[in-house]
Amino acid sequence: MEAKPSSNLSSKFVDQVVVPGDVILDLSSMANQTIKLGGGLRQDGDSISVMKAGTLRFTKPNKYWVESSHKRYVPCAGDNVLGVVVDTKPENFLVDIRGPALAFLPVLAFEGGTRRNIPKFEVGTLLYVRVVNANTGMNPELSCMDASGKAAEYGVLKEGYMFESSTGLSRMLLSSPPYPVLEALGKKLSFEIAVGINGCFWVNASQSSTVILVGNAIQKSESLSMVQQKIYLEKLLKSIQ
Amino acid sequence: MEQRLANSLIMTVNEKKFIETALLSDLRVDGRRPFDYRKLSISFGREDGSSEVQLGNTRVMGFVTGQLVQPYRDRPNEGTLAIYTEFSPMADPSFEAGRPGESAIELGRIVDRGLRESRAVDTESLCVISGKSVWAIRIDLHIIDNGGNLVDASNVAALAALSTFRRPECTLGENGQEVIVHPPEAREPLPLIIHHLPVAVTFAFIGKENVVVIDPTHHEEAVMGGSMTATLNTNGDVCAIQKAGGEGVLQSVIMQCLRIASVKAGDITSKIKSAVESYNTERSLRKIKRHNPSPAGYKH
Repeated sequence: MEAKPSSNLSSKFVDQVVVPGDVILDLSSMANQTIKLGGGLRQDGDSISVMKAGTLRFTKPNKYWVESSHKRYVPCAGDNVLGVVVDTKPENFLVDIRGPALAFLPVLAFEGGTRRNIPKFEVGTLLYVRVVNANTGMNPELSCMDASGKAAEYGVLKEGYMFESSTGLSRMLLSSPPYPVLEALGKKLSFEIAVGINGCFWVNASQSSTVILVGNAIQKSESLSMVQQKIYLEKLLKSIQ
Repeated sequence: MEQRLANSLIMTVNEKKFIETALLSDLRVDGRRPFDYRKLSISFGREDGSSEVQLGNTRVMGFVTGQLVQPYRDRPNEGTLAIYTEFSPMADPSFEAGRPGESAIELGRIVDRGLRESRAVDTESLCVISGKSVWAIRIDLHIIDNGGNLVDASNVAALAALSTFRRPECTLGENGQEVIVHPPEAREPLPLIIHHLPVAVTFAFIGKENVVVIDPTHHEEAVMGGSMTATLNTNGDVCAIQKAGGEGVLQSVIMQCLRIASVKAGDITSKIKSAVESYNTERSLRKIKRHNPSPAGYKH
């Protein structure tokens, strides 16, 4: 770990298990530094303390967050999630992102969105959205645009099936280098996948059997070690030849 | 603050369409075929009459207890059987603590009808003093996790718990009016007399063509048009059928379902019996360890 002169405290805790109440940074010893806090951390005056149990992670230049794997999701700004439209209001769509509260998706939060071309979503539409802000006690706010206002890949997901996983598995699916299960499946089968960090992923393929195979393989692989995953995948891919 | 709509599973339109499309090629979302059951595992607690059943993601615990009570006036020679269900809020977001809701009561009724109408448990042997004192057997079913098909899992939990329950032995006092209940240390408790095991098998009808699937998962239950539960035993008797609302079903489909159900009932009955047997073996082994070896040369 490189020596960081002003973050001596944090280097103790990065990549270690932390529990709620741990103070990981003392801001009084750092001057003129911007720190970005991700999920699980809170600013208490001059100290940054942990709210959620898990492993503390750090990426350059200045982002800290706590990683843990749950079946329930705690919304955090900047996350890409899968949501289901539950209701339509004049100003917002109410979207369920598997968190403690429903989220609001403003009707204008689409690329080139104006009052004239508000999309019509029926109840049960599956969307890939970005969490814009998620303060505790308030409903999270979503957007179908990225930070620069382009649609990117956000929007409605048609066909396919949404499988549930845990937040930890979703993170592994999104990591780079790619998750070995995804790589192995991708070499033999062709499918489309959208991963939400809120503990679910969507798979689509030309055949239902492929969708079912991919979804179940990913769900099962969570509890297997690397070696077991390889064996499981080999058996699976051989059986579909 | 808008709360989640906790009362129903929020299904996407994609899921509903996918489940129906996949069923047209005989595929289910968890990889099963339409007439495959999920993995059933039965385990027991240390006490007699407590069971835990896991059917896929669905978990149910059953507890059987007995008490001496006055019999009903019109049935002075018979003991009573009562079923209580508790849908724990940790099983599903739509379950609320407190009074049982409609589905909880329906589940209790299905299990109750399967046991009572078919006379699976011999109630006359539960009579101690006619007209005065009989055993009242109470079955408590706790739903711990709802992964779909609670009826079948609860039924197996009730049967497993009943098969391992033992009631204390009781004898009449000197004047023939008093009942002496012997503690388990003094006299070995007695098992219930169970004539047969009525097993419930649930079918779901999904989609416009009413494709039949057995043992629906939580998601399949949310998209199904109707469901039917058939309770049968291995002797070929149909103990009960429950079809509460939903799509109409052809008579030929019902007969096909009953045929499939009798095959599945055989599988499940043999699983219950082997689990109960291994529990009883383990129980008797435990008793052997309790006794001290006799001082007069107990040699290995």
